[in-house]
Amino acid sequence: MAKRYPILSVLLLTGFISHAQGSGPGVRGARAAALGHASVTLNDVWAVGNNAAGLGQLSAPTAAVYAENRYLLSALNTVALAVAAPLGKVENGLARRGVVGLEVQRFGGKLYNEQRIGAGYGYRGGLVSIGARVDLLQLSIEGLGSRRAVAVSLGGQAELVPKRLVFGAYLYNLNQAKLAEYQQERVPTVLKAGISYRPTAKVMLNIETEKEVEQSADFKAGVEYRVIDALALRAGLRTLTEETTGGLGFRAGALQIDYAAAWHAALGLSQHLSIGLSFNAKQP
Amino acid sequence: MLRVPLNDSAAYGSTTHEAKASRYPQKRRFKAILTAVLLAAGTAQAQEYVRPTPDLDRLTQELFAEIQSDQVPSEDLYETLLQYYQTPISLNTATREDLRGLLLLSENQISQLLTYRQQRGPLLSLYELQAVPGFDLRTIYRAAPFVTVQTAGGTNGLRGPLWQRVFKEDNNALFLRYERVLQTRTGYTAAPLDSLGRGPTRYLGSPDKLLLRYRVSHAKDFSLGVTAEKDAGEQLTWNPNGRQYGADFLSAHFVVQERGKLKTLAVGDYQLQFGQGLLLSSGLQVGKGAETITTLRRSSIGVRPYSSILESTFFRGAAATVEVAPTVRATAFVSRKRVDANVQLAADSLAEFDEFSSGFLLTGFHRTPSERANRQTLRETVAGGNLSYTSRSGHLAAGLTAVDTHFDKAIQRRPELYNQYEFRGTHNLALGAHYTYVRGNVLVFGETARSSSGGWGTVNGLLASLAPTVDVSALVRHYTRNFHTLYGNALSENTRNINESGLYLGLKVRPVARWEVSAYYDQFWFPWLKYDVGAPSRGHDWLTRVTYAPTKTSLLYAQLRTRQKAYNPSSGQPIPQPEPTTRHSVLLYYDANPTPTLGLRTRVQGSRYRATDASPWQRGYVLAQDASVAVGRRLRLTARYALFDTDSYDTRQYVFEQDVLYAFSVPALSGQGTRVYGIAEISCTRQLTLWLRLAETHYRHQTTVGSGLEEIQGPRRTEFKAQARYRF
Repeated sequence: MAKRYPILSVLLLTGFISHAQGSGPGVRGARAAALGHASVTLNDVWAVGNNAAGLGQLSAPTAAVYAENRYLLSALNTVALAVAAPLGKVENGLARRGVVGLEVQRFGGKLYNEQRIGAGYGYRGGLVSIGARVDLLQLSIEGLGSRRAVAVSLGGQAELVPKRLVFGAYLYNLNQAKLAEYQQERVPTVLKAGISYRPTAKVMLNIETEKEVEQSADFKAGVEYRVIDALALRAGLRTLTEETTGGLGFRAGALQIDYAAAWHAALGLSQHLSIGLSFNAKQP
Repeated sequence: MLRVPLNDSAAYGSTTHEAKASRYPQKRRFKAILTAVLLAAGTAQAQEYVRPTPDLDRLTQELFAEIQSDQVPSEDLYETLLQYYQTPISLNTATREDLRGLLLLSENQISQLLTYRQQRGPLLSLYELQAVPGFDLRTIYRAAPFVTVQTAGGTNGLRGPLWQRVFKEDNNALFLRYERVLQTRTGYTAAPLDSLGRGPTRYLGSPDKLLLRYRVSHAKDFSLGVTAEKDAGEQLTWNPNGRQYGADFLSAHFVVQERGKLKTLAVGDYQLQFGQGLLLSSGLQVGKGAETITTLRRSSIGVRPYSSILESTFFRGAAATVEVAPTVRATAFVSRKRVDANVQLAADSLAEFDEFSSGFLLTGFHRTPSERANRQTLRETVAGGNLSYTSRSGHLAAGLTAVDTHFDKAIQRRPELYNQYEFRGTHNLALGAHYTYVRGNVLVFGETARSSSGGWGTVNGLLASLAPTVDVSALVRHYTRNFHTLYGNALSENTRNINESGLYLGLKVRPVARWEVSAYYDQFWFPWLKYDVGAPSRGHDWLTRVTYAPTKTSLLYAQLRTRQKAYNPSSGQPIPQPEPTTRHSVLLYYDANPTPTLGLRTRVQGSRYRATDASPWQRGYVLAQDASVAVGRRLRLTARYALFDTDSYDTRQYVFEQDVLYAFSVPALSGQGTRVYGIAEISCTRQLTLWLRLAETHYRHQTTVGSGLEEIQGPRRTEFKAQARYRF
């Protein structure tokens, strides 16, 4: 597709970068990508980027790496590294003083790239989790120099029906950080809210809506099915970008490997891979 | 009434319990007792649960999504479905494939039922379904009208010779239907002639629509039927030269089934459905609707008798299915009939074809001289077959299909760019393979075919029950722009399986009792041009329906749907740039029976439409209230009053209406006004039932209704319909 309509693709891509990616919250982890980015209720290590509140349920120090390529173009690569560790004692699988996470990420190629360092904190009490995150962003465009900004984000998760129905919300860049005076260019402010329905331990259905101030609302949905304990299958969709996603996840002891592929109606294939290692022999 | 009076004294059922319990393994004790109690209740009340009269209207609304266009003759599709549902499936002898064909049971439920049957022998009563794991009450109520536990009185041979069985069969009916629009339409007025005696076109026949149908059938034994139909405006003449013998459309069939190795033999008009319907599909397809799981897969139904009145979707000749081995069945068919097409002579002596047709005409109308000239001008000869293997467990099924078509005149569509890859010539051979495999809670199925043009099509899907309350489905399809399947109708966004790729995801969740949420999302791409779409294009379509059944007899649902497709903008540009058109629609529906004799239905539907992202929204709205009352035992009255208000024809509303039995009307309402109808169903004697229906659309701010030959002077259009059914 992209090969066949080069002009169309370039036009779409430039539009795409300037809006959808444009230092927004992005997606972290191939699990979230496979679920059509409906990730606001997840609580794995990548919650550091998807919804910091989800960090609160981590019970062991974890490190993970993530690589993403969009539409088979090397200029649209993302790589990220995240670490998270519980503070204080872990009782009944919950860190008493919350969990802290750190993430470094780079998107783009030589002509245009974004780097960020983010620090997040999530705390869980009872059936409710809250979280916050601060991002240091840097945008660089070759020949035009670079800009920096600080974005603050807040998130929350609540179990409406214990273990069955989870609600999550995340507000990225609530301070509406400014990148340039020209045309009031700002880091996108994005509000995500979603519900996860988990009828059994094997099945998870997520629906989520995402709104950026200057964009149309996006509706996302994903389903995860744990065929056996070691293998999960996932599928999802995003209506705004008309993407259909799918993927699988392997769990072997402390190791977690996830792969996702997304198909965009006009731009084709994106691929996501993440590998996580949990430094605790005891798996819940 | 499927009520289980658990306080019913067990004395009734004690013997039953003893007799049945001995067949159970010990650990099933509790289930056995429950079943026994249920059975006891059953025997106490009646030997057999009385099958409720199917609420076909409700069923079709539950299965079908809203109608999208006038191009699909939906009425006939419904009729096919309704007729199919008229023959109840025996739960004790039905194969896995038969049960799938019901479209109401999930694969999981089917497996559970088969296991149950295997472990405990045949079901003794429909009440026993409650004891089958995975069968919730909603499913039982939905399926009850279409299933039975009675085996058909032993083998066919024991009931006397065939002619006697046909003669004595109770399941027979003669239908007579009459329809007419009461106002005078332009096509039926006298034409003003000029000095040369020429005048504008007029219809040749009377404005009456007549239908006569007789059918006698016995499930898994035989079916014999005759149909004759005359549409409004068609002539009723005897003209052997013009191949007309009375009515404009005549059809007949005779089918025998289950005669040893010969499973089915059909002579006359029949339909075929194999695999996913990519090559052979018989009108039993629902497409993308609110039922997002069970209807996604098509069933290999094989040879079916045809007694509907759609004049283009059947084969005429003979077909037979033979059991080659216990697991292998072979079907061969041959068909030769004439179809409507406009035949032209080539203007250029160097042209490829001297005489050719630019395409088939599927409406079946032969009312004007030009329509009559196109009547049955093309002879179509089709031959082919299918070879199917089904494993003994029924878990794996696979097969091969071949369809070879030959026309006596070449098909050559109009030389437009979007017709570049359409079928041309006189001959098409299509070969395909299909498969179905069930393992645990997952069912995969698919079909792939190639036509002689070199084009190919494939459709592959998956249904999975992830949890007792969650079902998901996925379907991938790809039909190349030069893939020609002339009788196929696999799932697609286009009306035909050509020039399309798509990806469908479906979901159905029952989060709490009485609630059900179903949704699908479908993306599609059209790699080549289409009519009114001057470039490769794409689109998507999604639907969500939330259903709540507070009681056994009431149902509420809300449905949202969005569809986005690209079309050429109306402004004439030298190079058309298709723009995405968006249509949102919403439907709220409430159906309740406050008392056994009274039924109430409310329907609110609306849509908004935008031709391009920059153009303003246009809206359409309909509110309809129905009431149905049973007066005594012999009379049932049904009425509707509906108000509609749409901004334009693009936001016209298609509203399901109740009709006489087997008829279905889904009129398109546009403009402003009211739509009213009343139906009386009178059971005169045990043999004779009458239906009378009067419907009227009254438009505001209009002095005429319709256009062209269908134009009516005045703001009203009134239709009258009467039908009689006589059982011998």
